[in-house]
Amino acid sequence: MLCLAGYNLCKSYIDSDQSIHVLKDTSLEVQEAEMICITGQSGCGKSTLLHILGLLDKPDAGQVLIGGREIHSSMPEAPLVRNTQLGFVFQFHYLVEDLSAKENVALPMIIGGKSSAVAIKHASELLCNLGLAERLNRYPNQLSGGEQQRVSLARALINSPKIVLADEPTGNLDPEHSAEVWQMMLKLNRERGQAFVIVTHDRDSARLASKTYNLTQGKLSPIVWE
Amino acid sequence: MDKLQQFFLTRYLKAPKRNLLRFSFVFMTLGIVLSVGILSAALNLFEGYERSLKMVLLGSLPHITIQKTDAEYISPEELDLIVKQLAASSEIESTTPVITYSVMAVEGTKVRGASLNGYDFSGRYPFPYANYIKKGSASLHSGEIIIGKYLAKELGKKVGDTLKIVYPQLDRISALGIFPAEHNYRVAGIYNSGFYENDRSMLICTQTDAEALLNINPGFAKLELRLRPSHIDDASILAVSMQNKLGVDYSLYPWTIFSAGLLKLVMMEKWLIFIVFCFLVLISGINVISAVATIILDKKNEIAVLKTLGASSASIRKVLSYQVGLVGLIAIILGQVLGALLSIFVEHQGFYHLKGDVYFIDSLTTAILPLNQLIVFGVSATLVLACIYYPLRQIDKLQIIEILRNP
Repeated sequence: MLCLAGYNLCKSYIDSDQSIHVLKDTSLEVQEAEMICITGQSGCGKSTLLHILGLLDKPDAGQVLIGGREIHSSMPEAPLVRNTQLGFVFQFHYLVEDLSAKENVALPMIIGGKSSAVAIKHASELLCNLGLAERLNRYPNQLSGGEQQRVSLARALINSPKIVLADEPTGNLDPEHSAEVWQMMLKLNRERGQAFVIVTHDRDSARLASKTYNLTQGKLSPIVWE
Repeated sequence: MDKLQQFFLTRYLKAPKRNLLRFSFVFMTLGIVLSVGILSAALNLFEGYERSLKMVLLGSLPHITIQKTDAEYISPEELDLIVKQLAASSEIESTTPVITYSVMAVEGTKVRGASLNGYDFSGRYPFPYANYIKKGSASLHSGEIIIGKYLAKELGKKVGDTLKIVYPQLDRISALGIFPAEHNYRVAGIYNSGFYENDRSMLICTQTDAEALLNINPGFAKLELRLRPSHIDDASILAVSMQNKLGVDYSLYPWTIFSAGLLKLVMMEKWLIFIVFCFLVLISGINVISAVATIILDKKNEIAVLKTLGASSASIRKVLSYQVGLVGLIAIILGQVLGALLSIFVEHQGFYHLKGDVYFIDSLTTAILPLNQLIVFGVSATLVLACIYYPLRQIDKLQIIEILRNP
């Protein structure tokens, strides 16, 4: 079943009086329980595509469908859709420094209107399931890079979103921690059927996804691994 | 208040050390504490001055004065009649007849103008200023006199000394010129009310001595009424009602005629100073704006991620405003405590005194009134919160994408 789709997406930027077209009629469909990786050179528009699919940016043309319904970032319901149906993981963990790991994970639930007690209980359970039971009350600066990113992943999962959008989630990690995070995402995809769209430079890890695309010249082309 | 705001507010209150003690708040807090402290101290001291002045004025001056309309003396018979007519008035605390005249106090070549007040010390009428006799006796016999503190100082007199009083009798002109009446008195007490004008000119003697010096038949220049404390502010209304009872032969002068203007002026000055010092709080608000702008800059990643997770700008604005607002409110309370300590210190310090000839009273006092503290808190909180709200509008303009791209 289709959970997220972007059709004929176009996006251009003006740079020094020059129009740069980063997306040209790009389309992408993400089915339930699918893990899609998008690779490409730096600056090719991978993050832009992810931001548009995640309702953080508006395309110049084209449409985004979530759960079969067309929506874009400037619609009033976009924050609610981001909160309930999408999960985000970024290259930097973007955890709130003043909150503990479990409180950071609970944030999307609290924003969604759940009481903090319920949200923190749920967040603690999720962190325990992700192997971070010993880190519940640690603050972000007391966690390793891999742990920070795993907490960030838990935050993306807390509201049981249809799809998690990850923008170079391991781009800032050493190979060991990077493998940890990849393993966790794969496990979630296989065991829970969690759908992912992951933007990455790591072609070796991208091989493990159900589908991999390469973004060049503003167009997505599937990669067929030998 | 949505759940996100409740969550952060609870955190700020439960763990203030982690959430509220930040370097970016230091100068903001200092600015608010100092400006509110000065504002609060100024109001406490002006309130104290106003209250002291009023207390001294009302303590050392009659609340209502009754005189004959034709400026003649009030005879003992007329006095009895007036006292009877006013006996039913429960608002009156005491009734005291007095002879008042301007005389000269002389010591060698020093001559000072003074006001001679002759009271009945036989016990028939109360002497209302006994509390102000700080040295010597408050009960006079013939040949004795009480002298104001500053007058005593200027003439070099102390209890037990002799003071010559001269009264220029303009109706006794001889071939040699004006022949003044004069009399030597023994200084029996020193009068100190705190009201400079009185302490500088007050002379108190017995009624019989005053009659002898002024060469008048038994009689009184005026009748001084003192009202019960709860009715002092109603003096004007009471004077009108008493006037109706006594008729046109007598004129009544409530204290408000002589002193209300001065008290109103002091009150106006108090609020003017308050308004001027409010600008200090507003200036410290610049620190608040700067602190909030710094926090927005520091937390722009967190703001972006909260927006990404679905939080509205309004909700994030409130979350930050609670954090800065709590610091601001704590700083205001600390400022008020500082203001109270400052004003108590000023009251008890011993190296500066008011000049009585300029400010009417010579001591600085403070009055820390709950209502004034509420006003200081309300005005300061409004100014500080306005300064918090203004820069928080930047949150609406933050571009999530820009921040996520360039963390």
